[in-house]
Amino acid sequence: MDHSPLLHNSELAERAYRVRRNAIVMAEVQGQGYIAQALGVADVLSVAYFHAMNVRPDQPDWEDRDRFLLSVGHYGIAHYAVLTEAGYLPEAELVTYGCDDSRLPMSGMTSYTPGAEMSGGSIGLGLPMAVGMGLGLKRKKSKSFVYILMGDGEMAEGPTWEAAISAAHYQLDNIIALVDFNKVQADGPSTSIMSTEPLVQKFEAFGFFVQRVNGNDLAALVAAFDAAREHPDPKPRIIICDTKMGSGVDFLEAKEKNHFIRLEAEDWKRAYAALDARTVA
Amino acid sequence: MNTTTKQPSVDKALPVTPAIISSSVDEGHRTKSAPFGHALIEEARRRPEIVGMSADLAKYTDIHIFAQAYPDRFYQMGMSEQLMATAAGGLAKEGFIPFATTYATFAARRCYDFISQAVAEQDANVKFVGGLPGLTTGYGPSHQATDDLAIFRAMPNLTVLDPCDALDVEQMVPAVAEHKGPVYMRVLRGQVPLVLDEYNYRFELGKAALLRGGRDVLIISTGFMTMRALDAAKELQKDSVDVAVLHVPTVKPLDEVTILREASRSGRLVVVAENHTVIGGLGEAVAGCLMRGGVSCAFRQIGLPDQFLDAGTLPVLQDRYGISRKAVVDRIRCWL
Repeated sequence: MDHSPLLHNSELAERAYRVRRNAIVMAEVQGQGYIAQALGVADVLSVAYFHAMNVRPDQPDWEDRDRFLLSVGHYGIAHYAVLTEAGYLPEAELVTYGCDDSRLPMSGMTSYTPGAEMSGGSIGLGLPMAVGMGLGLKRKKSKSFVYILMGDGEMAEGPTWEAAISAAHYQLDNIIALVDFNKVQADGPSTSIMSTEPLVQKFEAFGFFVQRVNGNDLAALVAAFDAAREHPDPKPRIIICDTKMGSGVDFLEAKEKNHFIRLEAEDWKRAYAALDARTVA
Repeated sequence: MNTTTKQPSVDKALPVTPAIISSSVDEGHRTKSAPFGHALIEEARRRPEIVGMSADLAKYTDIHIFAQAYPDRFYQMGMSEQLMATAAGGLAKEGFIPFATTYATFAARRCYDFISQAVAEQDANVKFVGGLPGLTTGYGPSHQATDDLAIFRAMPNLTVLDPCDALDVEQMVPAVAEHKGPVYMRVLRGQVPLVLDEYNYRFELGKAALLRGGRDVLIISTGFMTMRALDAAKELQKDSVDVAVLHVPTVKPLDEVTILREASRSGRLVVVAENHTVIGGLGEAVAGCLMRGGVSCAFRQIGLPDQFLDAGTLPVLQDRYGISRKAVVDRIRCWL
């Protein structure tokens, strides 16, 4: 991943499949969790880690790495899935997810996990943190990017917009923000809980280079990440990724209430089978 | 009190004092100008990783002179305290030492979750500097940080400091920069009293300092109440009341060893004095320490009452709420 080899989409699809599989392994341990988000964002994370980002998994603190901030702490399951696939974590550790003394806590924290750059969970910390790191990287004349993953519910948090104002003010073109727009938050559909649309126009008005893509279309994601990195204007960048909760596992995609899912033991077996069926198809 | 509507007051003689003043200079005190800003400039010369930040209050926290000296090392974050607190965490992750200033009320009340989760939990090397500590403005509760010590004492992994005077402030800055980890420091700005140079004092992080001995009363104080305690001690000396003063600039972690040693010397009235509500600050910290240490002594608290304080002029308010020099002397006399 050093200097990001440009993987073909078929290789990325294989990566994304294993990221999803890793997430199901973790969710099965607890019998419940944020599996629908993990499946939904797996393509975004795969393109980030296996196409766009310049990282060394065996050297998580390598100074010239691109940073990745997980603002949505409960997406820890998705992050560990991709970190494992990238080689930051041994696969054997997946079954410790959420257990006592595990390095994989339910909500991602920096002191627990190699490759976790921030403690998220208190939603709204991510973009302000990215601003600080973006400023710091500019001070060091670093060419690294700060990638930051937020949720669509997070768009209702005031500090996100404080940070957006300042990211444009300081021309932080080293920030690439990602919004996992899966249309679901804790209390229900994000469009009815607190509509934050039109998001593209809002971020454009705040001075961002904005793209909106199907977050489960690998080719579209690759193009968007490339454009974000190569955009010539001194603007912060944001990619709004429309994703499908549960993507890749049909009966989870179809589930109506899917922010936090509990399944019986046999249903987790069905999840692997459904994932395999979709991938083969 | 704020539960009833104020009645108009037009007949009273109106004392003219600026409502926003951030240090309490009593008559006869020498002063030093902007000790925090000057000390930060000095320390920044030695440490290139120091950067300054403010949320539109640079001028009112004395960091504006740092900004003038090092314009490319200062980040104006606008009126966005939560952003500033979190971005400071981000700068610290990249190896810098941010000194981030705002008023103490906004740092404590508005930014709590951000300082807790983006800085303290992640052990980010950020130094928060809060202006207008306790009752140092007549603006009213929005600006009177009567509760910041209580709020920040409850935060794990955070060092909490309350300086007495200009000397304390300027000695704290290099110690705070040297310390690896998050710090909250109250600051006195503008013309700041200079008192402690008469007491052969040197600030040491985590240490209390006995500034004078005395047989009858032991005042354990922090912040500018140490200045009031020293003045009160001189005044009470005239009545042959012998007052010791133990200055506790580090409110957390508390120097329990020194406090227990001094408080267990028998027969003295122990008075804790702070420019802060009597809830959750130094007074209750010392009380807990004495109880756990098995020291029983006569114990009194001088601090602000558990209420939203009035707006008005500072000398009147400090007298009204019992933290002026005269109020301290009067209350100790009453208790003897």
